[in-house]
Amino acid sequence: MSELTIAMPKGRIFEEAYQMLIDAGFNLPEEVEMSRKLMIEIPEEKIRFILAKPMDVPVYVEHGVADIGIAGKDVLLEQRRNVHELLDLKISQCYIASAGLPNTKMNEIAPRIATKYPNIAMNYYKEIGEQVEIIELNGSIELAPMIGLADRIVDIVSTGRTLKENGLVEYEHITDVSSRLIANPVSYRMKSARIQELVFRLKKFVN
Amino acid sequence: MSSLKMFEKPLGMRDTFPITYEKVEAIRQTGRDFLRARGYDFIKTPSLEYFDTVGKASAIYDAALFKLVDSQGNTLVLRPDMTTPIARVATSKLLKEQIPLRLAYFANVFRAQQTEGGRPAEFGQMGIEIIGDGTVFADAEVIITAINLIQAFGIDSFKITIGHAGVLNCILKDYTESAEQADKLRTLLVERNYVGFEEAVAAFDLPKTKSDALLQFINEATNIGAIEDIEKYVRKNDALEYMQQLMELISFANLSQYVALDFTLSSHMNYYTGMLFEVFAEGSGFALGNGGRYDGLLHHFGSKVGATGFGIRVDRLLEVVPSNKSAKQTVAIIFNDEQFTKALEHAKKLREEGKRVTLQAKKGLVDEEAFTKQFDTIVYVSQEDLA
Repeated sequence: MSELTIAMPKGRIFEEAYQMLIDAGFNLPEEVEMSRKLMIEIPEEKIRFILAKPMDVPVYVEHGVADIGIAGKDVLLEQRRNVHELLDLKISQCYIASAGLPNTKMNEIAPRIATKYPNIAMNYYKEIGEQVEIIELNGSIELAPMIGLADRIVDIVSTGRTLKENGLVEYEHITDVSSRLIANPVSYRMKSARIQELVFRLKKFVN
Repeated sequence: MSSLKMFEKPLGMRDTFPITYEKVEAIRQTGRDFLRARGYDFIKTPSLEYFDTVGKASAIYDAALFKLVDSQGNTLVLRPDMTTPIARVATSKLLKEQIPLRLAYFANVFRAQQTEGGRPAEFGQMGIEIIGDGTVFADAEVIITAINLIQAFGIDSFKITIGHAGVLNCILKDYTESAEQADKLRTLLVERNYVGFEEAVAAFDLPKTKSDALLQFINEATNIGAIEDIEKYVRKNDALEYMQQLMELISFANLSQYVALDFTLSSHMNYYTGMLFEVFAEGSGFALGNGGRYDGLLHHFGSKVGATGFGIRVDRLLEVVPSNKSAKQTVAIIFNDEQFTKALEHAKKLREEGKRVTLQAKKGLVDEEAFTKQFDTIVYVSQEDLA
């Protein structure tokens, strides 16, 4: 049996996905010491986890240093990397939407969109026939319409509370997001039996 | 924009240092001997082509083309692949003389960088094209040659996955209700987005028999052991029979263990009309190469004959080829000014013995120790030797 390297996002998604693997019958220690470690070896199952920033998981998988990984659909849509998307794990479900101040229209000459997801935003507005200018931010996107930096924001919404608390309303639902199991194209072939088996076992525990 | 530092190169451009250079040369030599022994003739085409001819016909995305403008205002491209220029030269010149053609190439191609590092914008490609033979035997020859070539490089752990555009089109057409639905599913397969495929099938609101068939197909089709397993999805057609014959020919060559079937394999270029395949090897995160039948490209250049071939990326080959150090012995002859003639004679003698000899004046050395460390043997030509 060949060694399998799995890239995982740190934090809550790791815990949920890890529990799914245990449910699927993988022999993993119940408690895993998460402190500052970036690599966890599970010799019993010949599995190695690497813990990465969510945005970086597809990078590790595309370059083949991780065979498979768990990545949000938002990241996959934004980066469009050459990976196989095998399974929707249906964890950390949310969606991407546009939002702005209530009862406002977008500027007619040069509407500005603030976002962490420049590609998703650009593609969306292109699709609906709207030419916009993208302003890329790294966090606290909700600030942008409040202080006049942008007409709309494009961001992840899970409960909508952050929007409400900052006096913003949702305008358009752009796409649904959840965590996906992805695979490197070469690993998908060379370790096909292991990966297929893992997908098969996990599939039964997807809600 | 910050100003350029003197050491900088354009994004994705790389220098080839001596060790890599020798490795590439060894690959070239092995590949060349191998392919010539199978009757392939090597050809070369220009680095620059017209955008309107080769550039537009090429399978490479527009954004990845390096473009220039010539003095007449025509847009030129640095060739992004070799198949398209070979199709051009074959249809315009070579096909008139002889049919079918077996051509081989080892050349650098250029693809502009879109994302981050780890991807060269110029890299070597080695491959073959069989032009003017539309039979299944030509496709079998391409696959068998690809497998044997990879073996000739000393690579053991590799896999070739084969699909067929005709089989896939038949399945997509039969189980969807419109051409748009089929196209949408094909696009998702090109992106290898199986989750998206399942979602799209659910969203189409197809009759249950059709959607169930598609979902079952996507679950099984990436990993089909035998051609019989796909038969239940496809009504009898030529493409399926063709694949049966192809797999049989590969089994006659005793190479079935290197081959897997994947009927979801699809290309964004519609000129891949028949079978197509990808090559994967352990040791590289990216596919080693790909190939297939591209009759449509020849039609684009105005010829009605069939064509099939494959290309392997040399940069990825470098990652997976086991390295074997060249055994040639290296000698440095270090001489004093007066002994130059003597040193020349001595070097000639050693070179005739098949050694790699470097001549170096002692006066020219700053750090003699560092210099001599690079060689197997050091010979000092001094006054005493003259005696």
